[in-house]
Amino acid sequence: MISGSDRAQRPTAALAVAVIAALVCAAPILAVALIALSDGSTDYLRHLAQTRLPTYLWNSFLVGTIAALGAGIIGTGLGWLIARTAFPGRKIFSWVLILPLAVPAYVAAYAWLDLSQAGGPLDALSFGLFPTVRGSLGAGLMFALVLYPYVYLLARDAFAGQSADAYDAARTLGASPLHAFSSTALPMARPAIAAGMALVVMESLADYGTVSHLGAPTLSIGLIRAWSGAGSLLDAARLSLILVAIALFVFGVERLQRRRMRSHAASGRHRPPQRFKLRGGQAFAAFAACAAPLLLGMAIPLGRLVWRALRAPLASGLFDAVQHSLIVATISAILAAILGLSTAYALRSKGFIPVAAARLAGLGYAVPGAVAAVGVIAMLSGIQSVLDPAWRSLTGAVFPILLTASAAALIFAYLSRFAAAAISPAENALARVTPNLEGAARTLGSHGFDLMRRVHWPLIVAGVTSAALLVFVEVLKELPATMILRPFNFDTLAVIAHNYAGDERLGEAAAPALLIALTALIPMIFVARYLSRHASGDE
Amino acid sequence: MVSDEVLSVRGALRRFEGGHRALCGVDLDIIPGQVTALLGPSGSGKSTLLRAIAGLEHLDDGTIRMGDTLWSGPGKHCPPEIRRVGLVFQDYALFPHMNALDNVAFGLKGADRKERALHQLKHAELAGKARNFPHELSGGEQQRVALARALAPEPSIILLDEPFSGLDRRLRGDVRRRTMTAIRKSGAAALLVTHDAEEALEAADQLALMQDGEIIQTGTPKDVWFNPVSADAARLVGDIDVAQGKVRSGKVESVFGDLPADQMEDGITVDILVRPEGVSVTQGEAFEVSGEDYAGAQVRLELKASDGSLWHAQTSATTGLQRGDRVGLGLDPDFVRIVEQG
Repeated sequence: MISGSDRAQRPTAALAVAVIAALVCAAPILAVALIALSDGSTDYLRHLAQTRLPTYLWNSFLVGTIAALGAGIIGTGLGWLIARTAFPGRKIFSWVLILPLAVPAYVAAYAWLDLSQAGGPLDALSFGLFPTVRGSLGAGLMFALVLYPYVYLLARDAFAGQSADAYDAARTLGASPLHAFSSTALPMARPAIAAGMALVVMESLADYGTVSHLGAPTLSIGLIRAWSGAGSLLDAARLSLILVAIALFVFGVERLQRRRMRSHAASGRHRPPQRFKLRGGQAFAAFAACAAPLLLGMAIPLGRLVWRALRAPLASGLFDAVQHSLIVATISAILAAILGLSTAYALRSKGFIPVAAARLAGLGYAVPGAVAAVGVIAMLSGIQSVLDPAWRSLTGAVFPILLTASAAALIFAYLSRFAAAAISPAENALARVTPNLEGAARTLGSHGFDLMRRVHWPLIVAGVTSAALLVFVEVLKELPATMILRPFNFDTLAVIAHNYAGDERLGEAAAPALLIALTALIPMIFVARYLSRHASGDE
Repeated sequence: MVSDEVLSVRGALRRFEGGHRALCGVDLDIIPGQVTALLGPSGSGKSTLLRAIAGLEHLDDGTIRMGDTLWSGPGKHCPPEIRRVGLVFQDYALFPHMNALDNVAFGLKGADRKERALHQLKHAELAGKARNFPHELSGGEQQRVALARALAPEPSIILLDEPFSGLDRRLRGDVRRRTMTAIRKSGAAALLVTHDAEEALEAADQLALMQDGEIIQTGTPKDVWFNPVSADAARLVGDIDVAQGKVRSGKVESVFGDLPADQMEDGITVDILVRPEGVSVTQGEAFEVSGEDYAGAQVRLELKASDGSLWHAQTSATTGLQRGDRVGLGLDPDFVRIVEQG
């Protein structure tokens, strides 16, 4: 009954920015594809295919599978406990359980390897029985410990959003409580859980720091070796293409599951399920189950790093690195929020261009940081090779080296990877401004800037801020793209932590690693509380 | 700023994507101090008309005027913030980030806006809930806040889009009476959009029937109910049985015998419209009771005529008639209309 044309006042500015967002996100992948599919074969790649490529693929598969299974089990279990049971501490755990996302997997890996390796405290305490955290299994577990919140968040909201009717219907049809759960609640939440697990796989594919520290060479490592060792853009682009193909496949799985989530949502009237009241031993077990991942993923590794940091000299360049990290993370967060919000505004018109732009921008989410970096280099060198002849004929000089190693190129790569992460939160926030709300405000005499200030802004500010903070945290943690693209003498916290850890100087690596985690923790608290504010029953 | 200006809609036309016409040349006058109900099935275009009057929807053709001021017309669209109509939405559209008082004060200006808003809330008997946020209010309370918000700027016309449909059935009548009292007291012209015939008949001074983007009849509720212009119009306001017939020398033949059709041309096909409320059961054999539908003290009988046509009669539930019984039927002429077939 209501047409779209009157609501959307053709927000051309928003549309233009949405198209820019799509270009920023898609350009690196396109550049990689163009280079990779260009002519010419290299000995390096042939050699690689015969030697290490199968290992890279196998490790990627192993790490991704272990990470997804681990995070799936932890996230589903905790999601159900928080959404469907009642026990002391549940409300606080509801958001605190999201916080491990602030800890980069490589930071957890530094600490756990240090604790468990021969001569470490766990090794000594267990008389050598505690296995050393390393290899594909170790890396997968590290990812599970810090990335399970992706599954937890989606599973929690899926369980909380389920109507009790299906469960009750199963009970009246003769199912036991456990059988009713496994035959109704769990299948109904399965798309959400699968979507969360796909996100975990994508993150683990994109990682470089963890797998390199724990010695589980995945495709990302192969890619960085090809670039930094062999220095061949063609080789790097071709490996990137393999990595992107896998990531896009997983991304496709994630999108498919998200679409299913909608069809699995409760139909008809929503009757929130009653929480199982846990008492005594049960309540204690639930409390312990919630505390365990927080201890293993945050408290123990961060505690170990504090202990290490206090006994080591301060890393040189730490202060500069803090500044650099904060600057690039802040700029990226603000730009991503602008891109995300504009795309969300443009999407309101439901037109072909904004929808296509948002889809394209969304692909960026699947692009691992190393690939984004190679893509930015490929793109800039492409532009350079096109412009160079013209420049020469005009000025007689060589075209100035483009931004191949500048902070701007770095931020471009960050945005192409993380801007997509800001689109859907902005969309969700903007969905709160319904057409009728806008209509009500306008019939009451408010329009233009006044309408934005009094109705739009108060409704979207928390959502947009949380999207920006999420990008801030991701950029702070980002390692591979930064390593490839950072300008000379421009180290971030992640880079110096990685370099010291790689040199077996964990004491000096501890301080920057801790700074990342603690700086990320503050915005993460806001994000976690925002994401849990609307969780049902917790108002 | 209650005025005596009439809001007039002339030839309003609105096309949607795909060529579907939501409004095809609508004429309507909304008179100050009166409640005009716009009744129609969902998809008939009534909400589109209301949104066009509010300025939330553009017209492709036709005009909307408030007195001498052109609101919508060829090449002219006065935006909603200038029109200042009061609008109550079906979902109330309360601002979720503002409490009841701030919601009501939203459209007010000046230093005393909060006081005036509170005054308005007092009228709605909601002063005690001024600090409550929308999600803390019941459905009925939300509806009253939405009405208070729409009335607060003293609009000369107030538009209500299915404002009672979200409410519990038992609450609805009471909320409706309060709402209508408040609107009449304000002196504003009111347009009530609804698909509920009972609601429209009870609340309205003027009734306009809408179907497929056209207004098919206007008049007082009583006039529209007793003198429908067509079978469609009759069906919109109540239950009706329809039979076809042909006019022969001022009479139409029917299962009830010949009915008078004085002013009608010979030979044309007509619809005979019979309201069950005007059908009474008599002694006879012509009809067979084929169904019964009890509603408390009343029963609605389904009756089959010898030609197989089905009719309904509303009688007392105490008659003891049963399926298979044979009866005669009497007609109250006030409840029968003969109209030319459209």
